[in-house]
Amino acid sequence: MEEVWILPAIPFAVFVVLGLFGRILPRNGDLLAVLGMAAVVVLVGFVLVDFQDAFVDDFFAPVAGANTYAFDWINIGDGFFLIEFSTYVDAITMVMLPVVSFVALMVLVYSIGYMKGEQRYGWYFAALSLFVSAMLLLVVSGNLLQLYLAWEGVGLASYLLIGFYWERQSAAEAAKKAFITTRIGDVGLLIGIILLWRVTGSFDIQEIIHAAEEGAFGETYLTIAMLFLFAGAAGKSAQFPLHVWLPDAMEGPTPVSALIHAATMVVAGVYLVARMLPVYDEVLIARDVVLYTGLLTAFMAATMGLVATDIKRVLAFSTVSQLGFMFVALGVGALTAAMFHLFTHAFFKSLLFLGSGSVIHATEEQEVGKLGGLRKKMPITTLTFAIGSLALAGIPIFAGFWSKDEILHDLEKYGPLWAYAVLAATAGLTAIYTTRLVLLTFFGEPKDQHAYDHAHESPPVMTVPLILLAALATVAGLFVYQDVGQAFGFVGGIGEVVIAHGEPHVFELDVPFAAGATATALAGIAIGFMYWWGDARRAREARGWAPELHSLLERRYYVDELYQAFINYAVLGLSSVVAWFDKRVVNETGVDGGTQLVGFLGHRLKFLQTGRIPNYALGMALGVAALALVALGTS
Amino acid sequence: MVENDAYALLAVFLIPLGTAVLLMLVPSRERSLIIAVTAASSLAMFAVSLYVFLAYDFNGDQFQGVKAWSYMNDIGLLGEEGIQLKVGVDGIAAAMVLLTGIVIVPGTWVSWKIQDRMKDFFILLYILTAGVFGTFVMLDMFLWFLLYETALLPMYLLIAVWGSTRKEYGAMKLMMMLLAGSILIFTAIFAIYTEAGLGSFDLVDLYAVDFDEDFQKLYFPLVAVGCGILAAMFPFHSWSPDGHASAPTAVSMLHAGVLMKLGAFGIIRLGFQMMPEGGEFWAPALIVLGITAALYGAVSALRQDDMKLMTGFSSVSHMGYVMVGLGTMNVIGWTGAVLQMFAHGIMTALFFLLIGAMYDQAHNRDIPNFSGMAKQMPIWTVFFVIAGLASLGLPGMSGFVAEVHIFIGAFRAYPVVGGLAVLTAAITATYLLRMFSQAFFGEFNPRWSELKEITYAERAGATVLAGTILFLGLWPSPWVDRIATTIETTIPGVTL
Repeated sequence: MEEVWILPAIPFAVFVVLGLFGRILPRNGDLLAVLGMAAVVVLVGFVLVDFQDAFVDDFFAPVAGANTYAFDWINIGDGFFLIEFSTYVDAITMVMLPVVSFVALMVLVYSIGYMKGEQRYGWYFAALSLFVSAMLLLVVSGNLLQLYLAWEGVGLASYLLIGFYWERQSAAEAAKKAFITTRIGDVGLLIGIILLWRVTGSFDIQEIIHAAEEGAFGETYLTIAMLFLFAGAAGKSAQFPLHVWLPDAMEGPTPVSALIHAATMVVAGVYLVARMLPVYDEVLIARDVVLYTGLLTAFMAATMGLVATDIKRVLAFSTVSQLGFMFVALGVGALTAAMFHLFTHAFFKSLLFLGSGSVIHATEEQEVGKLGGLRKKMPITTLTFAIGSLALAGIPIFAGFWSKDEILHDLEKYGPLWAYAVLAATAGLTAIYTTRLVLLTFFGEPKDQHAYDHAHESPPVMTVPLILLAALATVAGLFVYQDVGQAFGFVGGIGEVVIAHGEPHVFELDVPFAAGATATALAGIAIGFMYWWGDARRAREARGWAPELHSLLERRYYVDELYQAFINYAVLGLSSVVAWFDKRVVNETGVDGGTQLVGFLGHRLKFLQTGRIPNYALGMALGVAALALVALGTS
Repeated sequence: MVENDAYALLAVFLIPLGTAVLLMLVPSRERSLIIAVTAASSLAMFAVSLYVFLAYDFNGDQFQGVKAWSYMNDIGLLGEEGIQLKVGVDGIAAAMVLLTGIVIVPGTWVSWKIQDRMKDFFILLYILTAGVFGTFVMLDMFLWFLLYETALLPMYLLIAVWGSTRKEYGAMKLMMMLLAGSILIFTAIFAIYTEAGLGSFDLVDLYAVDFDEDFQKLYFPLVAVGCGILAAMFPFHSWSPDGHASAPTAVSMLHAGVLMKLGAFGIIRLGFQMMPEGGEFWAPALIVLGITAALYGAVSALRQDDMKLMTGFSSVSHMGYVMVGLGTMNVIGWTGAVLQMFAHGIMTALFFLLIGAMYDQAHNRDIPNFSGMAKQMPIWTVFFVIAGLASLGLPGMSGFVAEVHIFIGAFRAYPVVGGLAVLTAAITATYLLRMFSQAFFGEFNPRWSELKEITYAERAGATVLAGTILFLGLWPSPWVDRIATTIETTIPGVTL
């Protein structure tokens, strides 16, 4: 476990090799990237086995080697200002590592088929390797500054991959928007990290948690610091009001959306809050902000998902909404539920994205208005996509059910009732938009004959990852059961895996509660069928009931317009004023004006030099007289 | 560093001076000979400056490689020591020598393209370089100032003769403002000399003098403003964007890369080290001016269309960070300030190299006129993106290492300033990414299909600079150890 730094090092080496020599390698080095990733998956298995030793008497205890200091990166004043390169492995890391490495491997394999024949094929694999490297570094980081380094690293990779098709202006703009929006959150993150350092003198996460529990911080100070930290999490995890970049990020290649914008990078914010949850537990105001931000985002994004017409954007809104679920769980302190949902969501959402990629690959069309009836031509894609959808909608057996049920359960127990009601309604909405997406894409009659004729099932290199992910989307939820956990070598289920402190959480299925949740999901699906089955006539009629509401949702609550107006008028306006001030006041008045003044005075004063002797004589006489007067006056 | 390393310090500014003299003897039509001489000279400078940096032992004395040669003594007011040629470096100066040694290499290589009076160009450029190196290694206040001026004056001719756009205006404005600053420094130098009454210009001796507090409070601002003008301190920055916009490529590189650092270096050498109490008294003013410049430059850059003007305002913003770092009066902030001097020097040199490489062909550098340049000039774009990412403070690049020190130092002193400084980094990202998405990405504008990829000399130069950016970003301790130790042990008034 001490050697866990090797995990990010492998893909980084792949990135360097592919970045420099990708052009001359056979097949642009794609197989090298896949092999490197496979090695990482194997090594994660070893780490997992090693991790079993962390359990002492059914209880997680960080063993020697969980926290490793490799070397000092910066050291001023003998450890006064110390930035280390350190790794830390605990249960939270142990949930993240398999998710990141497995999904990354599936996506890389899938990309061999999906990206075939693209220009910059090698660069694609290089950038993806850079991303995986930064993401793995992020989850094994033992200190906050190293985490920030990795955090910006995944942001850079995301920027490069969203802008992969940079010839399209829209892709270039989307990449810029994603980077700047998350960067605004990162301002908060860095400020938060520095505020925590200011009191503790350490970046080490465990030391900070320890200090917070000892009461080293003032309460207001800690609240402010943790809110700044959450701003970073909200930016990365696309929470309101920084959610605007994620739907646009769909300009990137679809496998990238599956890996970065569904399964891994966007959950970095959830990971950060989960990692710092013991500190959030000390300041409940900050934790409440997490709860209500998540709740608002979950609901808003689900409603926007109802009307989106681009298959990838529906999934993007769904991702934003599901991330909101995770933050809600963290907001009531339910670490286990949040990490469990992160775990299951990664599998079924990347499955859905890769499925949509299969559709896009086959039809070169991603508007649901032009798809339909694909089930006959793409059976594997349809089946796996349906499995993913059932998991997302929360139907029992499938993974999403268990984790969503956990979140609702914890919210009901620890949160206000109205919040529970909103989140339950959101779960219903999830089932509706999921059903809508499946029906419009795979059922009904083909709406665009050309796209339909073009359609075909994808090659095995793409369908095999789909099948593997579908299998996981089916069974990943069963990890909650202790028996399953024991079979995998854990003493208990996911509750024992993800436990930072306190009593292990033992899962109990509350049958009436689960029945209610299932009924909600089924009702959602039924509504979906009612409106969008066949020719979706009712859905079109429904649009007429409240056109304002429909356009409000379609325009995403006008948040983007609001930002655009703010940028156009406030930011660029201020910039114009400052530029004007610099040009006119500082430069033309101050600098040029100064020289002109000197020039003007010189121009005037030169007339004193008339060259006529009487004038000079008069001047001398006046001078002598003045001096005489002064001399008289002083004596 | 052993005692004989004084000869390395001597060599570092005698090489460019000697090259300039040698070039005067070469007929101007012998272009290949000129190229050979300058190539050898630039590599020699790089090698010696790298040696100086590596040889500096941060566990040793403050000044190393110290050696003095008598120049003028026992005349008039001059005492036994008088004016001497005394060299020596501390950790800060060693880093600055390395910076100059790195920037001059690509600066020389890209100038081989110059068709018009190349020999004269190199003579002036190398005299300038000698002045820069000399200022960094000189420990005699009189010769320090002489070399400081030697670094400035060739600038006028270099811009006015080889520049572009409004070159006469830019050259004149730059010269007038910098000379105004020099008058202030000159006044302060003689005030210090007479007040100390040692009859010596030896900086080490002068540092030991305990000046009267009122004297320090009065004369510190003279040095700070006088040198601050060269460091583009707000509100004396306005020569910088215009000067850069009109200067030829190598001069922009050297000027923004190295000369502006001379200003900040002067504030440390003659300001904080000479008059620590004055420095402590005026530090809050430096912070205010610094953070104003950082925000002001960044916000102005949002609206610039000319790439060079944008980079010029970006420089104002980044040099504002240096002032913030110095104003924090703690070791972390100060280390950040010196690191920022280094990091900004390398990064800006790369910016100007790339803009120059493009401007030489396109004779245009307005961002809205370009689109999809990544298609036509992919290598150029890659280097530009690296420079941009360093500029916006991406971890793993040089800018982040410097900025994180400054941010943390500022948070220790004044949290609000620290917060504003972090915010500035986000604005920087905005104007750079705006340029990327407009000019580099999107559909290719066929108007530029004549443009060629940058030359091999330019690629080699850009590789040197980009390599330094990544090296410092990934492994900063060689710099941090030297700089932080010097600051911690020798700068009075600066605490952990």
